Amino acid sequence: MNTPVVNSVNVTINGKSLTVPKALSVVQALWLGGYPRIESLGCLEGVCGSCRVLVRRAGSAVVSTELACQLLVEEGLDVSFLPYTDTQPRTYQLGCPISLSSVLETFTQTFPEAAKCRHCGGCDNSCPKGITVESAITLATAGDYQTAGEMFLECVLCELCETACPEFITPAQIGTFSRKVTTLLSRRPSNLIHRIEALAHQQFKVDIDR
Amino acid sequence: MHVTSNNGVLYQDAIIAYKAVAERILVNPNVSASFTSDLLKAYHPDYLQNACGLLRVGGNRDAQCHHQLVDALQSHSHLKPADITNMPVTETDILVIGGGGAGCAAALTAAQQGSEVILATKLRLGDSNTVMAEGGIQASINKGDSPQQHFDDILSSANQPVNKQLVADLVMDAPDVLLWLIEQGMQFDLDDHGNMCTRRAGGASQSRVVFCRDYTGLELMRVLKESIRNSQVDVWNYAPAIELTTDSKGQCTGAVLLSLEDNQYTLVKARSVILATGGLGRMHLNNFPTSNHLGATGDGLVLAYRIGARLRDLETFQYHPSGLIFPASMQGVMVTEGIRSSGAYLLNAQGQRFIDELESRDIVSAAIIKECRQGRGVQVSDDLSGVWLDTPGLELRSPGILNQRFPKLIAAAKNAGIDPRYKPLLIYPTLHYQNGGAVIDQHGQSTVKGLYCVGEVSGGIHGKNRLMGNSLLEIISFGRKAGQHAALSSPSTQHGEAGISHLIHFNAELQQAQIPLEKKSPVLFPEYTKFEIGCDFRGSEKI
Repeated sequence: MNTPVVNSVNVTINGKSLTVPKALSVVQALWLGGYPRIESLGCLEGVCGSCRVLVRRAGSAVVSTELACQLLVEEGLDVSFLPYTDTQPRTYQLGCPISLSSVLETFTQTFPEAAKCRHCGGCDNSCPKGITVESAITLATAGDYQTAGEMFLECVLCELCETACPEFITPAQIGTFSRKVTTLLSRRPSNLIHRIEALAHQQFKVDIDR
Repeated sequence: MHVTSNNGVLYQDAIIAYKAVAERILVNPNVSASFTSDLLKAYHPDYLQNACGLLRVGGNRDAQCHHQLVDALQSHSHLKPADITNMPVTETDILVIGGGGAGCAAALTAAQQGSEVILATKLRLGDSNTVMAEGGIQASINKGDSPQQHFDDILSSANQPVNKQLVADLVMDAPDVLLWLIEQGMQFDLDDHGNMCTRRAGGASQSRVVFCRDYTGLELMRVLKESIRNSQVDVWNYAPAIELTTDSKGQCTGAVLLSLEDNQYTLVKARSVILATGGLGRMHLNNFPTSNHLGATGDGLVLAYRIGARLRDLETFQYHPSGLIFPASMQGVMVTEGIRSSGAYLLNAQGQRFIDELESRDIVSAAIIKECRQGRGVQVSDDLSGVWLDTPGLELRSPGILNQRFPKLIAAAKNAGIDPRYKPLLIYPTLHYQNGGAVIDQHGQSTVKGLYCVGEVSGGIHGKNRLMGNSLLEIISFGRKAGQHAALSSPSTQHGEAGISHLIHFNAELQQAQIPLEKKSPVLFPEYTKFEIGCDFRGSEKI
C-alpha cells in the first residue's frame, strides 16, 4: 500500500501532471518539476503583469484568470499559461499645448471601441487586481479621466481585460491614458516649479570638496 | 538558503505574545561611529568570511570581488570567434540593452534627438526591477532643503569614496528628472496645496522622497512603456545580449542578441551601445533571497568586462532590511522603506525596538541580523528567523495610513492571508541592489569608447550604501544623459567593423588563470529555472 504523502499535491500545469510540495507558487512548481519556463515571467512579485494564467480548481467548473507568481499550488489545480499575443498597439500623439478638447478628440480617435461597451462584465471578472474595469471605462469615455485613472492605480498592464473584451476595447491602455492626461492637464506641483526656477537662476550650487 | 539563526522564539509563541502598542521607546539609541562600524563588520553580509575573492583576469585583476561574481566575470563566452560570420545583421544608430527605467529613458531621449533606436530586453519591456520599486524618488524640492544637503547625505551614507562629480550632477538634475517624468504623464502624491508630498529616506537629513503611494515604480514604468509605444523606438522582447562586439581599435560597435523565441542569434551593429541591464540579485549572493526580478543575473557587468570596461566597488551589495519571510510563498518579497519613513518600528521577539529605524539600510540590516543571531528573533523554521515590522503600532499612531499610503503592501499581505493593520509582518534582509558597477563619466560613458552604462549596472554614486529614492533618480537622470550624448555624438557614418576578436585576448587570460572551458557566462537565468541556452523557453519540454 502506498501511503499518501500529505505534504504534496497533484497539479496540472500547461497539460503536464506534477506532484509537488505544498506552499510553492505555480511558477516554482513548474521549475521544480523540470520545466524551464521563462516566457511570461518577470518580477515574480505580482506587479509586472507577465505571468497570466487560466485557472480551474478541483471540483469547479469556473475558469478564472490570475497571475501565476501569486498563485499557490493546491490539490487538483489545473493551470495554463496565457502568453501575450502580438496585437497592433494603439498609438497617439497628445497635442502641445494640451487641452481637454484635444484630449477628448484623441481619445475618440484612438479608442473608438470604448463607446461600444456592452457591459458584459468580462473585464471585471478577468482582472487579477480586482479593478472595476467596466465602470472605469464608462467614466473615461465620458471624459472623467481623473476618476477613471485613479481606479487603475493598481493596474499591472496584464491586459487580461483586453483579452476578455468581445468589443476589442483595450482597457489597460485606456487606464494609462487616463492617468497620463490627468497629470498633463493639471497644474505642475508648486514646490517643484519653484525649485526648478531657482536652479535656472543659479541660486543653488554643489560644492563637492566641502 | 542563508541560515538566519537557529535559536529564536517560535512564530506561534511570538505572535501570541505580540501586543499592538502605539508608542515604544528605543531604549539604547547607540549610533556612534564606532558602534555602527563594529555592527557592520560583525553582521553585514558584505563582511562575511569568504564572501569575496580576487579577480585573476581582466581590467580589475587583483581587485576584491564577491566570489559568485568572480565566477561570472571569469567565464568563457557562449560564442566562438568564428560564430559571428553567419549571423543575420541589423543596423541601427543606438542599441539600448535593457527594458527597465534606465533603458526606456535612454531610448526615448535618443529617439527624440532623431536617432534610430533599438531597445532589446531579456524579458518583456518593463519586466524589470524598476516596476517593483516602491519607495520613491529623491529630489531636493522643499524649502530648507538643497542639492548640497542631498549631496552631503549621499556622501555620508556611502562609507567609501564615490565619484563626487557624478553625485553632484545627479542631485542638481533631480528636480528636472521629476519634471520630465511629469511631462511623460507620471502621477505623484500631492498635498492639498498642490505640492509634491515627501517622506524621509533612512540615513537622509531631509524629507525629500516623492512617491506615488507604494507603487512609484509601477506608475513610472506604465508611463514610460506608453511613451515608448508612442515613439519610434523598435522594441525587441526576449532578446538578451550575450556578447558585445568591437572593432579593431577595441571600440564597442554593437552586440550579439539571442532570440529566446527561436534560439537564433542576431548581430546588431550600432554607433553606440547603452547598457542598462540592472543588477544581479538573482545570483543570490551568500545564498540570500532577493527582491529582484527573474532576469537580474549581472549580464551587463560580464559583457562590459569582457570588452575591457573598468568596473568598481564589486564587493559591496545592498541587503534591504525588510524582505518578508512569512508566509513562505512571500519570501524575499520586499516591503517598502517608506513604511519605516512613516514611522513603523522594528521589534525583536520580546517586543523591543533595537535600532533607530531610520538609520541607513546597511546599518538596519546588520542590526536585524544581529538580533536573530543572538536569539532574539522570531523563528519560522529550523534555520529561518526574523524580526517584526510593527505595522499595527503604526496604524494605532496614524489611523488609516496603511490603506491610504501603502495599498500594494495591503494587497500583497491580504493575498497571503495577513492583515498588516492588525498583525505585524515578519522580515529579514533580502538581497536588493548592486552598489558598484561599471566606471562611468558624466555622460554615462564607460571606459570603452562607444559603450555607455546607466543605472544599476554602473558604479560610483552610492559607495557601499544607497539611500532610498536615489536609484529611480539615477536611472532617469543618467538614462537621459546617455541617450542625449550618444545621439549627439554618434556620427552618421558607415557602421564600423563588428567582431568579437576581443575574446581572443580574454580567452588567453582565462586559459592562463586555468578557468575550465565549460564555464560560460552571462548565465541569463538562475539555475533553479533549469534554463539553458538552446532549450525551449516556454518550458514545454522537461529537462
